[in-house]
Amino acid sequence: MDLDANRSLIAAALGRIPAGDRAALQTVYRLTSAKLFGVCLRILGERGEAEDVLQEVYVTVWRKAADFDAGRASPMTWLIAIARNRSIDRLRATRQSRKMDPIEAAAEIADVTGGANSAVESMQADARLHGCINGLASHERAALRGAFFDGNTYEDLAARMKVPLGTMKSWIRRALIKLKACLEQ
Amino acid sequence: MTDTFDHSSLPEDEFLAAEYALGVLSGADRAGVEQRVTRDHGFARLVSDWEERLAPWSAEISEVVPPPQVWDRIAATLPTQTQTGGLWQSLTFWRGFSFAAGTLAAACLAALIYLGTLTQQPLIATIEGGGHRHFVATIDASRGTVAVVPAAFSPDATRVPELWLIPADGKPRPLGLLRADQTVTLTLPTDLAAFAKKDAVLAVSLEPPGGSTTGLPTGPVIATGKLTSL
Repeated sequence: MDLDANRSLIAAALGRIPAGDRAALQTVYRLTSAKLFGVCLRILGERGEAEDVLQEVYVTVWRKAADFDAGRASPMTWLIAIARNRSIDRLRATRQSRKMDPIEAAAEIADVTGGANSAVESMQADARLHGCINGLASHERAALRGAFFDGNTYEDLAARMKVPLGTMKSWIRRALIKLKACLEQ
Repeated sequence: MTDTFDHSSLPEDEFLAAEYALGVLSGADRAGVEQRVTRDHGFARLVSDWEERLAPWSAEISEVVPPPQVWDRIAATLPTQTQTGGLWQSLTFWRGFSFAAGTLAAACLAALIYLGTLTQQPLIATIEGGGHRHFVATIDASRGTVAVVPAAFSPDATRVPELWLIPADGKPRPLGLLRADQTVTLTLPTDLAAFAKKDAVLAVSLEPPGGSTTGLPTGPVIATGKLTSL
């Protein structure tokens, strides 16, 4: 119930931004900035840069709040997508991916799950996606993780996992097909 | 064996949308996708569908509170005026005003009839969150009071519980601060009496000492409950 209330508070505040309501943007910031800063920091790996991008993210929210469709998307999904996209764009503009250590798919250890869950995430969707990701082959899972959490390109992942570029594309696309089919079940 | 993906399983556009949402595209390919999203609604939908599918993965990422100067920098970039054009210049206002004047007589009549039949019943809400009943609130609109009894609420060392009324429009209105150790009787402002109806929601958020200064919840909402008739 409190999850739903938070979601509706964020959605209602987003709805007031197009009229120029600064307090509404501040409410969105107070309720979501720790999550979005975590997302920026994870992709960029450097605090100063993550702070710059976080600022860009909320200025984007201020300008584009009218595009948010509460009937279609969850407000957190919409906000996280903006934070991820601005962070990855920054990464591409300034340098290659942050994390370039080799990945050994067989030794891949799942990141800590739980404990970090934001009160605004839907636990149910969370469990479904995790179930589907765990159903992938370990090399597919490792490749998707490198892209999603480290902002790696196909080229980066091919180098990190020591496979040809074409093989990496095939792994990721195959994993995406499987993921979609699993989530639609 | 380097190029063996099954093109029949997903259309090429959908692969592109998924690769963008996943974050695996190079800078040039990303720029192409971002351009296309602005003018191709069908493609924009594919991208947002993939963002929706992958978003729950972000639950693994820990929250990190940003330093306070980030908000100061954001606030400094916002326009200082919250409204463009005053009320007196607003055509909408004057249209609304003449409409309101025209309907005032009818409204007065309706109000008289309504008041004649009115015996307002108290409303009650059990305010729950995280599997616990935190407070029980009773609203007596005819006396303009909100009585709130703490149940299993555990106080927070740095923040205070604040009560909000959220009517059907979804906009929270502040009712006042609560206490963990005793019943609090708050005054229901007269302009909010009309919102204190069955199915409106009472919510409790955690706020800095003294309560929210913005008129809206600034901290997490920890518990909510719907108003029902006694």
